[in-house]
Amino acid sequence: MAAWDYPPEVHLLADLGVEIEADEASTVARIPVTAELLGPDDGVHAGVIATLVDIVGGVIAVRALHPDWMATADMSLQVVRPARGPVLEARGTVVRQGRTTLVLEVFVTDVPGDGTPVAWSTLTFAVLPRAADAPAPEDLPGLPRRSSFGPGRLDGHVLEAAGITATGEPGGMTMPVADYVRNTIGALQGGVVALFAEVAGAHAVAAALGTGRPAVAVELQVSYIALGRVGPMVTRVRSVTTDPATGSGRGVVELRDAGADDRLTTVVAVGAVSA
Amino acid sequence: MTDIRPAGHEVGAYFRFERWELPPPAGSEGPSAFAGRAPIDDHQRGPGGGLATGGLLTCIDSMGGLLCGLAVLPRWIVTASLSVQVLRARQVGPLGFHGRVLRQGRNSVVSSIEVVDEGDGGARVAESVVTCAVLDPGEMALGFSRPLVIPMPPPAAAPEGVESFFGIEPGEGPVTRLRLDDRLRNPWGILHGGAVATLVDVAARRAAAPDVVGEPATTGVMVHYLAPLRVGPVEARCTPVGTRADGTVVRVALHDTGAGDRLAALASVTVRAV
Repeated sequence: MAAWDYPPEVHLLADLGVEIEADEASTVARIPVTAELLGPDDGVHAGVIATLVDIVGGVIAVRALHPDWMATADMSLQVVRPARGPVLEARGTVVRQGRTTLVLEVFVTDVPGDGTPVAWSTLTFAVLPRAADAPAPEDLPGLPRRSSFGPGRLDGHVLEAAGITATGEPGGMTMPVADYVRNTIGALQGGVVALFAEVAGAHAVAAALGTGRPAVAVELQVSYIALGRVGPMVTRVRSVTTDPATGSGRGVVELRDAGADDRLTTVVAVGAVSA
Repeated sequence: MTDIRPAGHEVGAYFRFERWELPPPAGSEGPSAFAGRAPIDDHQRGPGGGLATGGLLTCIDSMGGLLCGLAVLPRWIVTASLSVQVLRARQVGPLGFHGRVLRQGRNSVVSSIEVVDEGDGGARVAESVVTCAVLDPGEMALGFSRPLVIPMPPPAAAPEGVESFFGIEPGEGPVTRLRLDDRLRNPWGILHGGAVATLVDVAARRAAAPDVVGEPATTGVMVHYLAPLRVGPVEARCTPVGTRADGTVVRVALHDTGAGDRLAALASVTVRAV
């Protein structure tokens, strides 16, 4: 699927109601904040913010690297206060474009608002050079100043829509790799990977704190190792530490593709605080 | 064949970081793993009493570079990004390191390194992921005795504090500077990745100090290495992004003031009180 045909009509990114606005100076992605996107603190899930960041980053990267392709290599996301909208806006810029990597920085704000970021992200894309014998690249179509991924029709909570379910163990989660959450090359979309890990990490921290209150993820450091193509995806959380005085904790989430010999696909460090 | 030390040897020697290669079992293929050990000399202890976070980051960066570099010989690598979670600020020491390659691709290699406190029953101290970009070593001959062993240097005759060793100027506030002394250069002639990470840690803690009640310590850091630092002085410019229950988030941008003020690294740091 070409980048400019993505996402298909029935897809999580379409249901989030993503709008893109781009010109020569900047690229912006927005989603309306609805109840279906909120976590226990009534702020937008960190993983949904990560998805928005990944989208704006992907749009920038596709245009910067054409005719080469790219894959997200890592992402750092810091949520510094609950994101409540009514619209969430991610604005990305290129920090450095090299031969093998593209590094971006994205600030996320509530709109309307005072412009103070609710989240800040840095992310690295690995450049995948076009093979020398590949067909001549299609011209990259001019991006309209405004475009929409879809109508924004999520009719259930985003975690249910993505198919994320708890296994019963602290931090144990599972989800299928359905077409609804695949990226342009048929693997689990990078932002959805972050959402999956976020839920697992916060669940594990809440269990370790043992207060009976849920926790919300406020920091994600995502290292993408391999693509999740088969599924179901499963999580394992290790090295959980807590600070009862601040009601916070950290843990490292491993994502594995159970249908592909339990292959390690992603390592995500998660910081979480009590809701 | 030149048997070079693949990281700035004065930096590694300063932390007395011994490392030894763990080749794959006979008959199996794949990259080597690595193990290591670093004592915590008193003059290298930081907030919370453990190894100064800069030292931890330096050892992790050095081991990650070895893991990834040996995996792609005869090519070599540069660190592209470093993600570290500091799980315990209090450490007895010595610290034990174990690293392995998670993924080896054509253009990049990803490794993970776990750190435990051998003096405290093997308690986990840090978890990290190091991503390296593969490059052509050019004229530099890379040769190593295999399996590679780098022994622990003797204690320093004249102990020097971490910030002084790394040429970090005393100060406070949002800007921290580092002199790029020759002993901080790696074999490529650029500032050692551990020195970059140490500057990031010190600068972020100084910038967050007004927002932190108690002694500031780094709990999480992600460093993107963007360009080599060759000239100096290096200036770390910090912007607090926000404060939440688990600490203050600081954006740190490193500029090479002697090279047109080029942006050379960008880091995200979470700082809390210990």
